[in-house]
Amino acid sequence: MRCFVGIDLGSTTTKAVVLDTEGRVLGRGITNSRSNYDLAAEVARTEAFVSARFNHLEREVERAGGAAALARLLRAFRMEQMKVQLANLRARIGDEIGRTVAPGRRAAAASAVEEIFRRIDGEEERRLAEESPPARSDFFRDAAGSAYARLAEEVAAPAGVTFDLLLGLYDKCIVAVENEPLALGFREHIGQALHRAEASGAVRAAVEASATAELEVAGTVGTGYGRARLPFPKEQVRSEILCHGLGAHVLFPGTRTVLDIGGQDTKAIQVDARGIVTGFQMNDRCAAGCGRYLGYIADEMNMGLHELGPLALQSRRPVKISSTCTVFAGAELRERLSLGEKREDILAGLHRAVILRAMSLLARSGGIQDEFTFTGGVARNEAGVRALEGLVAENYGPRRINISADSIYTGALGAAHFARRGAAA
Amino acid sequence: MSVTAGLDVGSSAVKAVVMRVGEGADEVLAHGLARVRRRNVAQVIEEAFEAAVEGAGVETLDYVATTGEGEEAPFATGHFYGMTTHARGALFLEPRARVVLDVGALHARAVAMDGRGKVLGYKMTSQCASGSGQFLENIARYLGVSQADIGALSLTAQKPETVSSICAVLAETDVINMVSRGLAAPDILRGIHDSMAGRFARLLQSLRVEGAVFVSGGLAADDGLAAALQRALAPEGARGTPEIVRHPLSAFAGAIGAALWGAFRREKVGMGGPAWTATATA
Repeated sequence: MRCFVGIDLGSTTTKAVVLDTEGRVLGRGITNSRSNYDLAAEVARTEAFVSARFNHLEREVERAGGAAALARLLRAFRMEQMKVQLANLRARIGDEIGRTVAPGRRAAAASAVEEIFRRIDGEEERRLAEESPPARSDFFRDAAGSAYARLAEEVAAPAGVTFDLLLGLYDKCIVAVENEPLALGFREHIGQALHRAEASGAVRAAVEASATAELEVAGTVGTGYGRARLPFPKEQVRSEILCHGLGAHVLFPGTRTVLDIGGQDTKAIQVDARGIVTGFQMNDRCAAGCGRYLGYIADEMNMGLHELGPLALQSRRPVKISSTCTVFAGAELRERLSLGEKREDILAGLHRAVILRAMSLLARSGGIQDEFTFTGGVARNEAGVRALEGLVAENYGPRRINISADSIYTGALGAAHFARRGAAA
Repeated sequence: MSVTAGLDVGSSAVKAVVMRVGEGADEVLAHGLARVRRRNVAQVIEEAFEAAVEGAGVETLDYVATTGEGEEAPFATGHFYGMTTHARGALFLEPRARVVLDVGALHARAVAMDGRGKVLGYKMTSQCASGSGQFLENIARYLGVSQADIGALSLTAQKPETVSSICAVLAETDVINMVSRGLAAPDILRGIHDSMAGRFARLLQSLRVEGAVFVSGGLAADDGLAAALQRALAPEGARGTPEIVRHPLSAFAGAIGAALWGAFRREKVGMGGPAWTATATA
């Protein structure tokens, strides 16, 4: 089957979308960006094809073994991928101990690290057994990093080493693990995953039928912050503004204004009836007003990013945040907390601060026309959406506001459509 | 003679000292430092304070002085402003100092003073954390370099990279970009040191510095930053450029200044009895 790939190499995450010749989405993949851009693009692409395979499997396997069997197979597959990376991390940390830790502390450090990985393995096994394990980051860096840090805290004192030493080892090695090309694709691990998930014969047969279907890439287009460094010829690269405009148009054909609040830039884009960009404004080089602002706040509060919105929604009296700089807003947050102000009220103020920055960008780009499509990571945050709705109604009157659950893939989707158009031309 | 404690509560670490003051020989008996790391500040203050008190082996204190954000320390006798404590502490550690450059986690500030520690002028960096201590700490983490190694690595730079001011929070991707372009960690660190030093030099020049510049705060220990600052203040061939001085206890300058001011105030007011005893808080 012929397919088209769009890759959005963002500053924080790299996304890939696979389309069929009709423009239908076959699969989506995402990974965290890293210093080796080629590899980030490759991982996202691999993930998109893994998801295309699983989507294809969905109908087959559901008939054969039910949704639960497919979910279990997917968990087993993810576990196989995780194990490859964990083994790599473990080996590198072992080397690092041999090279940099003082001889007198090596044995203690090594046994502490062994214990951490033993516990991580145990947690992974339990995840597999659970029907719906707690949500966690899709990215190895974050998923392994948070488990490692949490367990290092437990293990450090009894093992007679410092937490800082253990965390330092992780920090030094994770970059290398991320930048090493590891085989994480569908074909490499589906066999072991079937075994681990104790899949039935019917499920196996469905997987086999699906695995033989060839996906032939007929065109690829790259975009995003790191697009200039993608290993593509120039004609296969489009600006992220163009791709976002087209992606939003594909998701919601009535779109005239797009607001994208991404990890570290915010874009306000005006498009015409065909999804072609007619004007835009962008804010970058400063975290204030971007998704990273909320990410930083979440770190400061020791909360997950996805927990911020729901808490902020409980606010009755949002505070007014006076700092602009993200780091200073973090300090203001701590100060306000120590003065006894409510977490939800401060968080509501912080959400409003992000949206206010976006509103001024929108005004400079030509205002908000109907329909208005909101994309990017912050579009998944309900408190952010609520703040935006309020300010839009206040400043522009009634507007139809479109939000898609898959809006993080908007740029990659637009890029894939450019690839498809290019092949048709 | 009195025995006093100084507590300097910063946004990334709490510094504590216990000093013996008077009879012509002021002396730091012990010091303690505890990192905040998102913990409850009250707990961190206690940890640093206990480390200093235990190190000094004292049972009572005549004055517990706080500075920085330490107004709320429960066992404090009095609070002093950061400008005055850093000036006083810097003079104690280096009598030739006439300017203190305090490079903290969030802000950098320069305080000009006379030979008795009287503050003559004051400048602070703007409302953006680019180029702060926290910023450098983030960068080091992204490079996988431990904080203690930053200075030495920066000094080995072969081809320093020019870094314009970058957002402290977005620095992660900027650093990833530099790494992906094949730049070496020392060259990146040196570029960042030079960029920070440029900001600090402008701060100092706006105060019209005369006399030695004493670097206080956690970043005083960073040799790479000190070298960059010297370069920024002394363009090639320039004469009469200020001397940069540091001290192993540079990070404690604020706490030392607070302890000294505490002793001074106690003397002035003529307080009787200890302000703090070991059993009272135990």
